[in-house]
Amino acid sequence: MSRDTLSRAEPVTPKQRAPQRRQRRASRTEARNRRAAAGFVLPFLALFGLCFIAPIVYAVHQSLYKTERTGPLGLGGREHEAFAGLANYAHALSDDRFLTGFGRVLLFGAVQIPLMIVLATTLALLLESAGARGITFFRSAFFLPYGVPGVIASILWGFLYVPGISPLVKIADSIGWDVDFLSRGTVLWSIANIVTWQFTGYNMLVLIAQLKAVPGELYEAARIDGATAWQVARHIKLPLIRPALVLTCVFSIIGTLQLFAEPMVLRPLASSIDSGFTPNLHAYSEAFVGNNQHVAAAEAVLLALVACVLSFGFLRLVGGRAKERG
Amino acid sequence: MTSNPMHRRTVLGGAAALAAGFALAGCGDSGDSDGDAPRERKKGQKINLTFWSWVPGIDKPVDLWNRQNPEVQVKVEKVSAVNGEQYAKMHAAIKAGNPPDLGQIEFPVIPSFLLDNGLLDLAPLGAARHKDKFFGWQWQQSVFGKGIYAVPQASGPMGLFIRQDLFDKWGVQVPGTWDDYEAAARAIRKKGAWIETFAPTNGNRFSGLAWQAGAKWYGTHGDTWIVNIDDEPTRKVADYWESLVKQKLVKTIPDRQNAWYKDLQTGAIPAWVGASWGDALLVGNAPGTKGKWRAAPLPQWKAGGKVFANWGGSTTAVFAKASYPKDALDFAVWLNTDPRSIALLIDGGYGFPSAKKGYATTDLDVDKDFFGGQAYSKIFADAGAHVDTSWQWGPGVDTLYQRLGDAFTDALADGSSFRSVLKKVQGQTLADLKGKGLKVESGG
Repeated sequence: MSRDTLSRAEPVTPKQRAPQRRQRRASRTEARNRRAAAGFVLPFLALFGLCFIAPIVYAVHQSLYKTERTGPLGLGGREHEAFAGLANYAHALSDDRFLTGFGRVLLFGAVQIPLMIVLATTLALLLESAGARGITFFRSAFFLPYGVPGVIASILWGFLYVPGISPLVKIADSIGWDVDFLSRGTVLWSIANIVTWQFTGYNMLVLIAQLKAVPGELYEAARIDGATAWQVARHIKLPLIRPALVLTCVFSIIGTLQLFAEPMVLRPLASSIDSGFTPNLHAYSEAFVGNNQHVAAAEAVLLALVACVLSFGFLRLVGGRAKERG
Repeated sequence: MTSNPMHRRTVLGGAAALAAGFALAGCGDSGDSDGDAPRERKKGQKINLTFWSWVPGIDKPVDLWNRQNPEVQVKVEKVSAVNGEQYAKMHAAIKAGNPPDLGQIEFPVIPSFLLDNGLLDLAPLGAARHKDKFFGWQWQQSVFGKGIYAVPQASGPMGLFIRQDLFDKWGVQVPGTWDDYEAAARAIRKKGAWIETFAPTNGNRFSGLAWQAGAKWYGTHGDTWIVNIDDEPTRKVADYWESLVKQKLVKTIPDRQNAWYKDLQTGAIPAWVGASWGDALLVGNAPGTKGKWRAAPLPQWKAGGKVFANWGGSTTAVFAKASYPKDALDFAVWLNTDPRSIALLIDGGYGFPSAKKGYATTDLDVDKDFFGGQAYSKIFADAGAHVDTSWQWGPGVDTLYQRLGDAFTDALADGSSFRSVLKKVQGQTLADLKGKGLKVESGG
């Protein structure tokens, strides 16, 4: 899971001082091993190339072309693809709605990710603390929402948000609190709530897995030194689960940028969600409503670039800080 | 969506997921259209045609056809009609080079399919000889230049649905004009209910209302498209609804979703400017209000006027790659004109027939009890006969609806005028069509 465990594995090299014959045999074995390895890796590489590399190459290719039409009114003539250079990118970047969508998911990430990670860490620490009871039950219960597909989760929460149907709105009404979960100002945070509900348990589980890997002697030593539970958490557990925290943050950053299912499902219920609410939704609308696949491809590539920059930027940031400290 | 370990492999972002679709779509992209030239069926040869549709109960007339025509078997494949998904699928299939033989396509989106060269021109097959079987303006919806691109199936003449019991109880008259409608809205608001919702995302209905007011959003001049969304009639409609919204006489929730259905069920919204197909929608979603609804003509701009518009309506189109176009056309004409087929379609609730003959208007009163015994289809038949038939659709209407929805949503949020919406959408639509490589001019 973490980088530590990977770097600990040492490469096995054939010993140099063995007699020649043995060496030859060894190299034959090595060749056979290599073939066997290739046999195992090939299916993965084939699928990886077909399902991952090829679509990306195709998307980049599509993003550089445009459709040209001939014939009266553009009807009836043959349409053909023409090289467009970066015109699609320029078009995407000059679209206010697309850029606003980026701003929206960045705001979303800046608020929701820290909140969710803090919550997940707290739950993980509580469930792994010495005095915790009913651990298995709570662990499963917190993790359960992750098993609900995002679309279903959004439909469920949709029912809890829509006025006239939602018991939450009804209760709020009865105590004189006028809430609208789907208004322009609130809908982003209603979505944040769905995402938090869904993924806190998952992140919690990743952190718990890392906590389990902390050697028991450390706790023992801390106890002998008279550390309180808070001190153990602060000075032993948190520093040691750092790799898992970094991992969950990176996944969350990428996931946030790709936000799609929740706004897509809530859109018919809330007129406050427009066709470019998130960059992914904007690309979808371009491709499947406007039938402008080329522009959509450019937008998807831009989205991928931003995800790359943010993820690696984040890794760099936390990596740099670790070095300063270390 | 967030933080899934799978996403490590898709670090390069949404590109992969989106592009996967394109990759599939791209396979048959390169000029293979000449490979399968249309064929003529030999006598006695058995063929299969596929037909994509979402109309409830469409399989019944198709079954009938299949029994009568053992040599030309039609297979219905149901497609989802939520948020235009069916068209996304059809466009993708055209791009991939494997569309079905026939498809259900609504009037407004026919030009979008023509941009793809997706539909077969039926004129060379002699489709014009069927023209007189249909209402003229509906036939015209799929005629562009010399080409005939679809066979009309049904239309959606607009009308007003009201809760008669509540109108009576509150002493509100059924509005005959839009001024009356505003007065009714005010009276109903005083009783704590809202006459209606102005759904900002419903560009479809807004276009119908503009149509009634005399707007002409699209036109052609030579080989140039004329776009004119920001015209005087549309401004009149925009001003009208803006005033209702600003006076807080109408809600602004989206229509045809749970909250709206709930309002219909409880009477919190006692009216709906809808269309002929709306009967099935009300029956299905507010069954508890049975017997309390009535249909009335769409309010008029001039007292005593008889100007109506259309919302919805669709066709049976033959895709450009159909292997047996002649048989596909025969089926499309039979489906929409044969009296037995029409009877089965009416049972399924498909809308208002485009065919002139083969049924009686009273046959359409399927939900008479729901409307307290009213022969409500007469209202819509009357409206259908007075639809301004010069209205024409242009390419990219799906995008136009989305633009309108986005712009109205913005306007509701920041209080800007509805006229600014029209101005904005006009500009965007010109840019969109130019972006599609079309010659286009502003009509203003």
